[in-house]
Amino acid sequence: MTATRRIALAATAAAFLGAAPVLAHHGWGSYDAAKPFTITGPVKHSVFQYPHAHVTIDHQGKTWEITLAPPSRMESRGAVADVIKEGKVVAAFGYASTARDAEMRAERITVDGKTYEMR
Amino acid sequence: MGEIFLALEQSGLGAAMRSSSVLYPTANVLHIVGLSFFFGAISIMDARLLGAFQPMPLKPFVSRWRRVAMAAFAIQIVSGFMLFSAEASAIVENPVFRLKVLLIVIGLANVVAFEVVTKPGITGWTDGRPPTAARVSGALSLAIWTTVAIAGRLIAYF
Repeated sequence: MTATRRIALAATAAAFLGAAPVLAHHGWGSYDAAKPFTITGPVKHSVFQYPHAHVTIDHQGKTWEITLAPPSRMESRGAVADVIKEGKVVAAFGYASTARDAEMRAERITVDGKTYEMR
Repeated sequence: MGEIFLALEQSGLGAAMRSSSVLYPTANVLHIVGLSFFFGAISIMDARLLGAFQPMPLKPFVSRWRRVAMAAFAIQIVSGFMLFSAEASAIVENPVFRLKVLLIVIGLANVVAFEVVTKPGITGWTDGRPPTAARVSGALSLAIWTTVAIAGRLIAYF
């Protein structure tokens, strides 16, 4: 095997190794997708910022931080900043973080009878 | 120490990165495009050190691609700093981010070691099996920068 071919092979192998984590959807690796649940309640604190919007809602004695989509995606789905502002009753369906306590990654949210997909 | 990162996050830059609908996505795209150019330049230099493209003399080959790598590295530093500023106080605690920074320092040290020690010693070599020092340098570089890219991608998962 020539050196060039050897290097091409090594580069291909490296590319596949590097590609594996990328194939998993970004941001879902450290969330427990096997146990989705819903948190419903009034928004205590709302942040409509990059890289992800998030809200905090009290749930079973803890204040949960619920990670939403990037603001641009939220807006394109109609979930503008006012939809998740403080006091709004939000039902967030998603997964608990396996890395951080009381953090949820929302799959979708329902506000005033309207459902917004987060991915 | 942590106050510096909190100050960066609370600076005008950090605030703009979080509130602008253009800045964060732009820096994100620049970081990917910069990575393509950087990794392309790095891997072609490393391939030369490992024995590929042997008709091409080592020194001009490396110095040409080094310029591309340095320009791309500048894009990575600027776009990376922008992304970092949005969440600096949290990201600085991220173990994968710390690993990435450490590996970048090691990668740059490898470049310096190549320029100062390895390259002056292999000036006479133009073809045939590359000297061990050259092959070690190229293999190290490829391994380090590949791991930097993987670590960078994984910051969002930890």
